Amino acid sequence: MTDALAAASTTTFDGPRVRVQRRTTSSIVALILSVVVLVAVASMPLWASQGLIRDIVRLCCYIAIAQMWNMLAGYAGIVSVGQQAFVGVAAYMMFIIAQLWGVDPFVAVVLAMIAPALLAIPTYGLLHRLDGPYFAIGTWVIAEVMRLATSNFGYVNAGAGMSLRVMTGYSATERAVGISLLAALMLLVTVGGSYWLLRSRYGLALIAMRDNPIAAASQGVNVSRLRFLIWVAAAVGTGLAGAIYFMAQLRITPPSAYDPNWANIAIFIVMVGGLGSLEGVIIGALIYFFADRWFGQYGATYLVVLGLLTLFMALFARGGIWGLICKVVDAPWFPTRRTLVEERQ
Amino acid sequence: MSSTLLSTQGLVARYGDFQALYGIDFEISEGEVVALIGANGAGKSTLLKSIMGLLRVAPEMVRLDGRPVGGSKPNRMVSDGVAIVPEGRRLFTGMSVVDNLRVAIDHAAVPRGTAWTLDRVFELFPILREKQAVPVQSLSGGQQQMVAIGRALLNQPRLLLCDEISLGLAPKVVKEIYRAIPSISANGTAIILVEQDVGLARSASNRLYCMLEGRVSLTGRSQDISREVIGAAYFGGAHAVA
Amino acid sequence: MQWLDGLVQGVLLGGLYAQYALGMALMFGVMRIVNITHGDLMILLALTGISLAATFALGPWTVLMVLVALGAILGLLLQRLILNRVVGADPLPSLIATFGLSVALQNAMLQVWSADTRSLGGGDIAQASFQLGTLYVGVLPVIVLATATLLTGGLDATLRYTRFGRSLRAASADVEAAAMTGVNPKGVYAGATAVAVAILGFAAVFQSMRATVAPADGPFQLIYAFEAVIIGGMGSIWGAFLGAMVLGISQSIGFRIDPGFGILAGHLVFLLILALRPQGLLGKD
Repeated sequence: MTDALAAASTTTFDGPRVRVQRRTTSSIVALILSVVVLVAVASMPLWASQGLIRDIVRLCCYIAIAQMWNMLAGYAGIVSVGQQAFVGVAAYMMFIIAQLWGVDPFVAVVLAMIAPALLAIPTYGLLHRLDGPYFAIGTWVIAEVMRLATSNFGYVNAGAGMSLRVMTGYSATERAVGISLLAALMLLVTVGGSYWLLRSRYGLALIAMRDNPIAAASQGVNVSRLRFLIWVAAAVGTGLAGAIYFMAQLRITPPSAYDPNWANIAIFIVMVGGLGSLEGVIIGALIYFFADRWFGQYGATYLVVLGLLTLFMALFARGGIWGLICKVVDAPWFPTRRTLVEERQ
Repeated sequence: MSSTLLSTQGLVARYGDFQALYGIDFEISEGEVVALIGANGAGKSTLLKSIMGLLRVAPEMVRLDGRPVGGSKPNRMVSDGVAIVPEGRRLFTGMSVVDNLRVAIDHAAVPRGTAWTLDRVFELFPILREKQAVPVQSLSGGQQQMVAIGRALLNQPRLLLCDEISLGLAPKVVKEIYRAIPSISANGTAIILVEQDVGLARSASNRLYCMLEGRVSLTGRSQDISREVIGAAYFGGAHAVA
Repeated sequence: MQWLDGLVQGVLLGGLYAQYALGMALMFGVMRIVNITHGDLMILLALTGISLAATFALGPWTVLMVLVALGAILGLLLQRLILNRVVGADPLPSLIATFGLSVALQNAMLQVWSADTRSLGGGDIAQASFQLGTLYVGVLPVIVLATATLLTGGLDATLRYTRFGRSLRAASADVEAAAMTGVNPKGVYAGATAVAVAILGFAAVFQSMRATVAPADGPFQLIYAFEAVIIGGMGSIWGAFLGAMVLGISQSIGFRIDPGFGILAGHLVFLLILALRPQGLLGKD
């Protein structure tokens, strides 16, 4: 990329030599911090209590699900209000593989990812025919279908739900180690994977698509294929979070697995934190996590406030909190923007 | 030609960061036909859009009867007596010819002089009477243009803005449409014609403005200006010298 | 016999769904907006109606009039305060804004009315039924169906033959061209939203007379309305009516196959239509 541009600049005109730069001081700091966080999550059994591990795993699940929703809404231009379909189907698949088929649960988490992928493909095939806002409600129907079908499916104990009794084969410490490693892996795949994707050559296409899908298509970006791929990838990422969450819970029922609240959480985190940025998701997830801990006891009132806050952000601050921060200081943690820098000769 | 109906003073308009008009001074009197000519991108359509309230401009940049109206909503401009035949016709797809026309009747200004009626529009364009129940999208291009003109007339305008009404039409149809211009202005209606065809613009108008890169490069009585002078103003300085 | 009964009950149920679907078809047709609070507003009206009836000892028809008027006012407020700011080519802001409002509304209703299911006493009419051949048909469901038919016909005629209807159709075809022809888009949007929510006033009374309502029910009504609109074909008022019938029949027949299968059958028929005829039954290609 750098070479091509530099070459172009010397052959076509005698302008200044330029190179493409993306790294910033803040991004180097953030990268180091990210590695520290990943290692910290993976090594939780060494330093955290059982309760803290459970909380951090939950926070990691929120970040993963929100980031997947952010990829959909913030880049692919797809609004889904039915992401719980993928949370539930992956978690249930993991319970089936581990509890009913006797595969090791930690292996089952990975194997179960086939389920959200398989659900995502026909879902997209059906729903992409619907006009923007109707697509969103279509995803909700899919989630409802999954919930009702699971509730009627005797193999998974229908409405009564399942318990992951095979986990008793592991000691508490072994479970903590496994869950911590999985949580770190999940962050790496969802957040790290998104960052890698946005910085890859697809990243430019994605950003072009976010800003103007029609113009992007005319510039040779295969918008519909890219949308489809992101839809499937987001389904898998969301499913991974679901499988890990319910592995930690040890118990699953259709209403909890296909809880619309999963979509609410993702939307709240992204809209409050900042749509179309990784930084926003992390900010939003932290806000949600602590708000839930401190104000969750107020139940309905607390949810009224969350809903109104989402409404307010959609009306007046589309970029969320990160967008507001960016207006004041320009120090991206995860820069995906390319800057042309003039080289001194 | 009596008092000034509409004028612009130092009109500046932009699309986002792109400035399209750099201080346009323009005026038109009651009953006058004024042509706006110029190359693609010279700012003719932008000027009409600014007058019509489709682009944001400062209030005092556009005056109607001496009142500042710049930046008023398009529907306000219609009730103040300004109607437009938009570029590309912009008919209401899915609705019949007569329903397209009725939307204009529903929201017409208070007529001055003889009011336009469905019958008068059908006299002007007889084919529309035959096609009145047909959905507009199944009409030919020329017929659609007639509906667009009829729609604007039924808004009972004192000032009619016509944005490239000959574009993409066969010469015979263009002639048929331009034949309507005198009977429209006979009503006392002032007309601004944006036109690519310079000959047509000259013959149909009393005065003309030529625009170049967002500025007025020439203005005067249509019959007094020679083709050469227009050519120079049309293409800009370099060509004027050559 | 069981199946014929299922069919008749399905059509009657469809009458209720049509009342949810009309407003949604209207708003989407004009503004390209899907209001996620659609179902919640119906529940809000229903719970308000039930409380009013209990407090002031009002009969169901008085409640109906109050709720229709209240619905129109709520619609105007929704349009003025929220939808006006999010109408546009990008569907995200309107979806998220109404999604947030929906979460807030559901939980606010939960605070005010608690999670209990409630219903509106309909007097003798709610229980009355008559015999049709070998079938017993309730009087109230027939009234609901008749009302739905009248509302659909009335809305269709309004769109075809009135000044307001022409403005609506013009704005939905090309809002900027409509403004250039003198139509005030904000006025049209406000009118469409007011009519859509006012129709929910009918739905609210009939839903709470026929069955029960609870604060968390809104999303389900939203989904039924949505399915009816898509099955019938977007942009068609009678399409929404027909779609509601298909949905009602599917659920009713499904319920007779297995009580746990009723709602699911409706969803499956919706998905089937989406796969085989994505433009909907009455939609054009």
